[in-house]
Amino acid sequence: MKTQSFNIANVSKLILFALLLIAPLTIEAQRFGHGASMSRGGGASRPSTGRQTINGGFHKQPSRSIPSTRPSTLPSRKPSTTRPSTSRPSTSRPTTSRPSTSRPTVNRPSTGNNSSRPSVNRPSNNNSRPGNNGNLSNSTVVNRPNNSHHNNNVNINVNNNHHNTIVRPNPRPYHRPPYAYGGFHYYSYHPYYYHPYRPFYWGPVWHPWGFFVASLATTAIIISIENQQYYYDQGNYYVHQNNGYTVVQAPVGATIKVLPDGYEVVDTGNTTNNYYYGGAYYEKSNDGYTVVPPTAGTIVENLPEGGEEVRIGDQTYVQYGDTYYQPVQIDGKNQYEVVEVKQED
Amino acid sequence: MKKILFAICMLCTYTAISQNNQSVIDSSAINILDKMGSYIGTLDACTFTLERSLDHEGYYGLEKHFYTDEVTMVGPNKMVVKTRGTQYNKDFMYNGEKFVYYSVDENNYCVLDAPDNIIDMIDSFHKTFGIRFPAADVFYPSLTDDMIENFDNIIYMGNDYINGVLCFHILASNDDLNVQLWIENDEDPLPAKMVIIHKDGNHNQYEATFTAWDINPEIDAEVFDFYPPEDSKLINIMAQK
Repeated sequence: MKTQSFNIANVSKLILFALLLIAPLTIEAQRFGHGASMSRGGGASRPSTGRQTINGGFHKQPSRSIPSTRPSTLPSRKPSTTRPSTSRPSTSRPTTSRPSTSRPTVNRPSTGNNSSRPSVNRPSNNNSRPGNNGNLSNSTVVNRPNNSHHNNNVNINVNNNHHNTIVRPNPRPYHRPPYAYGGFHYYSYHPYYYHPYRPFYWGPVWHPWGFFVASLATTAIIISIENQQYYYDQGNYYVHQNNGYTVVQAPVGATIKVLPDGYEVVDTGNTTNNYYYGGAYYEKSNDGYTVVPPTAGTIVENLPEGGEEVRIGDQTYVQYGDTYYQPVQIDGKNQYEVVEVKQED
Repeated sequence: MKKILFAICMLCTYTAISQNNQSVIDSSAINILDKMGSYIGTLDACTFTLERSLDHEGYYGLEKHFYTDEVTMVGPNKMVVKTRGTQYNKDFMYNGEKFVYYSVDENNYCVLDAPDNIIDMIDSFHKTFGIRFPAADVFYPSLTDDMIENFDNIIYMGNDYINGVLCFHILASNDDLNVQLWIENDEDPLPAKMVIIHKDGNHNQYEATFTAWDINPEIDAEVFDFYPPEDSKLINIMAQK
């Protein structure tokens, strides 16, 4: 009986010892339940004290308590020798690293004053594109790839599904990792090499999207695709609108007998070459040449009017309808490559 | 009795192992972070230079890129970042109303309406456009609380010298990141160095060293306005999904 009591006492002490070992774990777990409640972005909870500090003042959770599981090991602080210990008068430190006059004046408009300078005071236009949020300017934000919005206010797409700018994937494997931005991958076979977008004109008979004429030449032919009637003349496709004819993108599936003057053969990387004219791609068919979508990886030297440069992360692409063109340089020549855009998994 | 003792020993061993895997928030580290955050929160203006290196995922593995950032901030709503480096040369200019992303290499720029203070601006454009502001983390007013919330371990590692300046070395880690900060051992502590090591993939590293701090300088407001250089072009910018 005596031995049994001794054993029970010892066991109790050992259990108590074990519980003490467990205790810090429990305390620490509770501690982490009191994390910061503030979401990043200090503006919302910034006290309105009129302070003009760079971040609105330091925030600290009032309920924060640091566990005592690890003793404070902070060493004695080194006496401040290089910097005043309290307030730093704003005039005591010279602004040697950034003089206020460092911006060269040669870049400024010679006749402008502050109020007339462009850019920062540039009024936003009435672009109604979706895809932005908050108070960000509508005027300079575009939405996701594969949208059909375009700078022109002309109804160049004529509510059909014959867009010739939706890219066909290329079966050739890509040997470089894609450029990633915003949940999308931008694949290309050549490295990014920026050069400014300058629209190309295929001579006086060619017209960009949205171009309006009151009447057509007698040489124009009618092409019907899925109940939509187009008029073709010398590399231009028109639809009848507003008592006249408006140039639209070449409808996929349209077949012409003879390619317009000035076309070029472009390498798609596949067995089939494309014929390129005015931003449209053609393939040889039984009846002539049929409009096809661009194939990813196709290299072209010139892009027509109607494209626009878009900053995507740190790179600038030319968006032409649903096609994104990456500026590249091949054999010293500035060209564009059709980009394949894929959504990240 | 032997069985009971064995069970208790096993329990103690399990407890010890479990504690090794538990989070550690070092009060010394928190105090250092608080002190730095408190001091930064008093600054009306500052300029500094950031020497950065970061890893980029390339086809043949990680590629190292180097950048130098000249950063100027005036509270509450003015900021300029001039980045020069191996891959991109660009300027960010924020005057309290507009934000300009100017690509020096491409001579084109984007203009966006901006929030009315630096932190909201940084946060907003990072979320919407993926724009990264160099070493912006240390300027968040809730730095310490954010770290407590996001890291399992925050530990004071000891002292170290960065560019000849005695610094406190803080390490924070979670499942994804290992973040190390060197903070000046000073009455008015400023960050001296930051390293971020990703734990996944190829273990990308980001390293940034702060130099040339200039505290509360007088800065002409015109510095934060953007004047389009000759032949520069206004272009659109794509928002993230």
